[in-house]
Amino acid sequence: MAALTPQRAVRPGARFLDPAVLARIDNLELLARTVVDGFLAGLHRSPYLGFSLDFAEHRQYMPGDDIRRIDWRLFARTDRHYIKLFEAETNANFVVLLDVSRSMDYTSHAVTKLDYARYLTAALCFFSRRQRDRVGLVTFDDAIVDYVPPSMKHMDTVLHVLDGIEAGRAGSLAEPLLQITELTGRKGIVVVVSDFYADTDTVFRSVALLKARGHDVIVFHVLDPAELAFPFQDASGFEDMETGEQIPVIPERLRDEYLRLLRTHTTELEERFAGSRIDYRLLDTSQPLDLALFAYLAARQRLSRTR
Amino acid sequence: MSLTFLVPLFLLGLAGIVIPVVLHLTRRRRRNVVLFPSLVFLRKVPFQEQSRRRVEHWLLLALRALALGLLAVAFARPLFQNGSVAAAGGSGPREVVVLLDQSYSMGVGDAFARAVAAAGHVFDGLGPLDRASLVTFSRGARVLVRSTTDPTRLRSALDTVRVGSGVTRFGPALKVAETILEESRLPSGDVVLISDFQKNGWTGNEDVHLPAGAKLTPVDVAGTLDENVQVADVTLARQALSGRERVTPTARIVRQGGRGPRQVPVTLELEGQTVQTRTVPVPADGAASVTFAPFTLSLPHTRGAVSVPDDGLAADDARYFVASPGSAIPVSVLEGSRTGRNASLYLREALDISPDDRFTVRVRRSDEVRGEDLSGAAVLVLNDTRLDGASAQRVSRFVEAGGGVLVVLGQEASWPASAADILPGTVGGVQDPAEGQGGRLGFLDHDSPIFEVFARPRSGDFTAARFFRARAFQPADSARVLARYDDGTPALVEGYRGKGTVLVWTSTLDQFWNDLALQPVFLPFVQRMLEYLSGRGQVVPWLTAGQVLNLADPKALESAGLSSPKEAGLEPGVVPIVLSPSGSVVPLPKEGPRYLTLEDRGFYTVRPEGVEPTRPFVIAVNVDLSESKLEHLDPAELAARVTAPAGAVRAPPSGNAAELRREDLEKRQSAWRYLLYAAFGLLLLDTALSNWMSRRRKVPGPVVSRS
Repeated sequence: MAALTPQRAVRPGARFLDPAVLARIDNLELLARTVVDGFLAGLHRSPYLGFSLDFAEHRQYMPGDDIRRIDWRLFARTDRHYIKLFEAETNANFVVLLDVSRSMDYTSHAVTKLDYARYLTAALCFFSRRQRDRVGLVTFDDAIVDYVPPSMKHMDTVLHVLDGIEAGRAGSLAEPLLQITELTGRKGIVVVVSDFYADTDTVFRSVALLKARGHDVIVFHVLDPAELAFPFQDASGFEDMETGEQIPVIPERLRDEYLRLLRTHTTELEERFAGSRIDYRLLDTSQPLDLALFAYLAARQRLSRTR
Repeated sequence: MSLTFLVPLFLLGLAGIVIPVVLHLTRRRRRNVVLFPSLVFLRKVPFQEQSRRRVEHWLLLALRALALGLLAVAFARPLFQNGSVAAAGGSGPREVVVLLDQSYSMGVGDAFARAVAAAGHVFDGLGPLDRASLVTFSRGARVLVRSTTDPTRLRSALDTVRVGSGVTRFGPALKVAETILEESRLPSGDVVLISDFQKNGWTGNEDVHLPAGAKLTPVDVAGTLDENVQVADVTLARQALSGRERVTPTARIVRQGGRGPRQVPVTLELEGQTVQTRTVPVPADGAASVTFAPFTLSLPHTRGAVSVPDDGLAADDARYFVASPGSAIPVSVLEGSRTGRNASLYLREALDISPDDRFTVRVRRSDEVRGEDLSGAAVLVLNDTRLDGASAQRVSRFVEAGGGVLVVLGQEASWPASAADILPGTVGGVQDPAEGQGGRLGFLDHDSPIFEVFARPRSGDFTAARFFRARAFQPADSARVLARYDDGTPALVEGYRGKGTVLVWTSTLDQFWNDLALQPVFLPFVQRMLEYLSGRGQVVPWLTAGQVLNLADPKALESAGLSSPKEAGLEPGVVPIVLSPSGSVVPLPKEGPRYLTLEDRGFYTVRPEGVEPTRPFVIAVNVDLSESKLEHLDPAELAARVTAPAGAVRAPPSGNAAELRREDLEKRQSAWRYLLYAAFGLLLLDTALSNWMSRRRKVPGPVVSRS
């Protein structure tokens, strides 16, 4: 079960990943590099060591394969042509589906959810780019806003798009994700970053479409600490950022019930995603980005083992 | 007991109790708007709108409403009226005047403490409608609190009263009490006179009569004093020695009471340092003198004191003085060459025997006035001289520059016609005022400073002197005849020229033509005459407590001992500040006459503001020793003299006394003050309570709000 309050343990080097610090870096590429380099530096002392450019397996040469990748030593021993594959050379498509709906523009501290998601996306893309993946980006609210097809050369474009995104209209998952499913033909790794303000079924069905298309799907559920703890005190009118609707709220009376409903929502999402072999991570925007990177790393590791 | 309000209109403010409720509702409508990403979950939470409209904290609401209510009632100024008050109103409230003696004789034993306690007792016994005044008195009277119903003010003022240095005078205090009672609108008056009832404080001629119906209650707090030793006087004999002045202080010690002779140590202090101590035997009810070794007086405004050990009455145990060098008046006497020898003998002797060497006399026998005769001289005496024209011109310039000239017209005296305008008249021949029988002085101008001191009875008899010869003198129109013989001819004529004064004495100053020189008045007469001509006032080594000094008057300052204005920093135009003996600054007006009332014994320091002069001007102040005579006055006799005969009825008070009483009663009760305290206390409690409640339910975290 995902915890509503993620671990706050800070590892050496992780201080560079503090979202509040990252918010001061204007250059998104520099930000991503900072995050990833700092993260990798931390990995040298991490028990998750093992992801590398090591040899993975041999595959029989098929017409169309690059003859430069034939393992000539094995050919000498076996007189057969085999292709040498390495784990790092998956050349997978890596696409981030980023929710840029109005609700993502919320913050109770230094970084909005959208900024946090932007940093996360940049870091993941940079990370994947280092693994020689083809990186792509889709931003959406109630429709697709920007689409950067996955490509080895699109890193700069992705960063440029990320740099320019703004929270826009009300969000919706079903329609945009359906369109994205149709857009992404080749299997790859799809990361969905959203606050998932929709009922559980809608969320699950929308994301499950991607999985059904054969993508490896990783879901990052981004929430602000104020959404997670509901620390409000005074009786106030609460206004929906997307619809503008207002309702009177006495926080002390609603807090427990709100937290219960939120916990139910996240728990259901985690369980249902887990049932469909979709990785789900709940992220607190006040927490360092390396938690998300660890989640991604773990997923990649698992994917590589199963490949 | 009934509760009424002085300003009931303010009770409308009770409507303000609804303010907390209105605020509660208003605040609910104007709540903050908090932007939240999505209301998906909040919409699912079931809640009842009714519960949020309910008042949650009844205690807070009650506290706030009660505080507002108390404020409204406080502003309405409530007062309680009961039967006893009504009864007091029926008999009429009193106007009480407490006269508290603060003369220095009240310092005997615990007399003053008992006096203060007695005054406090009077204030404690005031009825709710009574008004009271506090007046302190010694030589004069001072109203500290005038006709108030506030006992706190009276108590506070009473705490500030201290024993002074003045003498007892009942007249001014009773006059003040009379005035207060006459101005009062209350039906009855009561004067409480708290004193040790010194006999010298009441002469019986004060002409004080308290209004009809007023009662004088004497409170006698006189202490007993078995023995009192005082420094009655200090004389400072001066002697010029090698260009310096040597001063020999002599103190007179008086002992009142006691048994048998007693050795009394007497101490001389100069500039705060003990210089000498002499022990002198003083008999019971007797006196003794002690002479100290002379000291050199080199600095102006030198402070000194002669003291005996403290006894029951400390105020008269020390005598303070201030002395300055160079205060002697230089007199140059020019004796005519044709006159008989020693024509100036009596004059010189009369000037030499002044107790403090007030005059330095130079005598030269000549008819010619030289420059050295006038150099440094304040007064020139032309004793039967025949002046030539050149000498007369020098004399003229001397007078115009401010010098004083005494022209003694004897047998040989003559005046050049070319300088006749110097004299205040025309010199004639020798005449016999009474044809061989001897004339007498028949008229003295007692308004003149020369004869002023002889105005009182038994203060100098000029009629005993006989005048056998005199020079005729025709006074000029501008001249002033200060003395005449009994035949009307002038004996002493005064004239002015420039800044100086010329006196013409038409007879001799020896016993050649008259026997005035053999009379007791000759010495003071001659000294006063030359002091007057010198233009210098008599410098006194100390002043007496209660005296008033005009600091804007140079003559008065000189008389008080200011000998060196430059070193004291008190040159003309300088606004001085005055420090009392206790060190506090005495407030003075910036312009006009700057009267300084010398209230305390000790040394007053007068200096320019912000400047520390090398030798500041110091005024010594001693107590009036008449207060030391602890003779007791019968308080009943005094009371009988000032109160109206029994049966006299005072006219009913004018004005709306009922309104006055209600207002006074409210002021005395001051219930509004306590209500205000209570209201503020409740508001503080409300603040603390609401904060505590708020903290208790508070969950840490940010609030995002849209204003």
